[in-house]
Amino acid sequence: MDGELLSDTFVELTDTMVVGFDVIDFMHMLTNRSVQLLDVSAAGLLLADPRGELRVVAASSEAARLLELFQIQNDEGPCLECFRTGQSVQVADLAAVAHRWPQFAPAAGRAGFGAVQALPMRLREQVIGALNLFRAAPGALDPADIRVGQALADVATISLLQERNMRHTDTLNEQLQTALNSRVIIEQAKGKLAERLGLDMDQAFSLLRESARTSNRRLSDLAQAFVNGTDSLAGVKVTGSQPRLPGPRPPRLPGS
Amino acid sequence: MTDSRPARIWSLVAAQAALHGGPVSAADACMAAVAAVEVTGAWLIAARGAEAGHLMRVTDKASELLAELQMTLGEGPGPDAAASGGPVLASDLDETEANRRWPAFAPAARQAGAAAIFAFPLQLGAIRTGVMSLYRMRSGPLSAFQLGDALTFADTATLLLLDAQDQPAHAAGSAEAGPGGQPANLTRHRAEIDQATGMLTEQLGVGIAEAFLRLRAYAYAHDRGLSDLARDIVARDLRLSPDPDPRKDTQA
Repeated sequence: MDGELLSDTFVELTDTMVVGFDVIDFMHMLTNRSVQLLDVSAAGLLLADPRGELRVVAASSEAARLLELFQIQNDEGPCLECFRTGQSVQVADLAAVAHRWPQFAPAAGRAGFGAVQALPMRLREQVIGALNLFRAAPGALDPADIRVGQALADVATISLLQERNMRHTDTLNEQLQTALNSRVIIEQAKGKLAERLGLDMDQAFSLLRESARTSNRRLSDLAQAFVNGTDSLAGVKVTGSQPRLPGPRPPRLPGS
Repeated sequence: MTDSRPARIWSLVAAQAALHGGPVSAADACMAAVAAVEVTGAWLIAARGAEAGHLMRVTDKASELLAELQMTLGEGPGPDAAASGGPVLASDLDETEANRRWPAFAPAARQAGAAAIFAFPLQLGAIRTGVMSLYRMRSGPLSAFQLGDALTFADTATLLLLDAQDQPAHAAGSAEAGPGGQPANLTRHRAEIDQATGMLTEQLGVGIAEAFLRLRAYAYAHDRGLSDLARDIVARDLRLSPDPDPRKDTQA
């Protein structure tokens, strides 16, 4: 593991938690950093909606997002098991566990993943979500990587509480709902920007984040202003490195 | 366990509407929430976008007073929920935190008989339709189950308010199908639906609430699932045209 990148990441994480904090932006960054720091090729983060369902809140790639969604919809898979038991779940070889998860295991294989490590997000006795790390090749994740992964999952949990009163379940539930709704606003803004500039959703998301950074605004505030038409994002330009549509389609999983 | 919640809540709202024999409205969601979530009373403010909104329903004298207090004082869980875009769960108005947050409203609300207030923004991302507030004479948090129900009542009220804004385009919700012919289930609702809604604001040149209505109207008129339809729009296999007649939309 790259020690310097690890320390940079924690500095960056704490910085973000202080100024202009945006929980969705933060969790998205966590999944990206997980992929850079750990020996994994994709990461996804699930949060429990108090309505009684899990929701995909951030993913490092479209393939990871679809695979998380697939588990939620088919009600099986290591990430769900991790959430329900509150224990981390390690699957070193997905091909060998088709009997355990008859729908998830083959879907993961088709999406290009051979192994998965699911880490719980816990706050005292409550499990609020899971950070899931996907590897392309089969093989167990290194114990040191697991420890750092769990630390990242813990940071994600704490980020939901921000500066607010920790002892209140009220606070946690308020923040969870606010986070889930900002996810919706950001998706609406991605769609609007993608349509306007002829981009795919990942490109639209990168542009929104970039624009939030440049203008020093919270991602969800910017997204809200853009969707409502109070900010036209007139300065946002597509840079040459971003291919315009038609580009490669994200992989489609059966039933997703 | 999870599939049945929106259906159960919808049947409670429909049963409430059946009592007065009228069409199902957001006011019924507000009324039905009181018994289901075991609170003392509730009120619902309907608002379009950034408008101040109007008091659509109060379930008792105290909730009317509480709603008026919030409007007069300009502070309280309701205004905070509208501003933050998340629920405000004030489970004990006697606490220091509540009094610091709402120095005028908290003591006045206690005097009006409320020990706890739970305010839920009626929203779907950037679409804002109002706020539903529940109050209870006894302090203490909602249970996880009650909170899940309250959020689902709020989802149902959101869809009903959106439908009410759009009566001519398609019929009001029927008791069987849920509002606009779609089951009132926003938790199953996925990123593609939000992305497609955002795309439609550009394709149709309309606001976000109108774009969502058009998406649902198209799904209803063509007997298609909302997620399924949204996926086609996101994949650019389907564009909707600004023409209000959904039959003129083109399959790419």
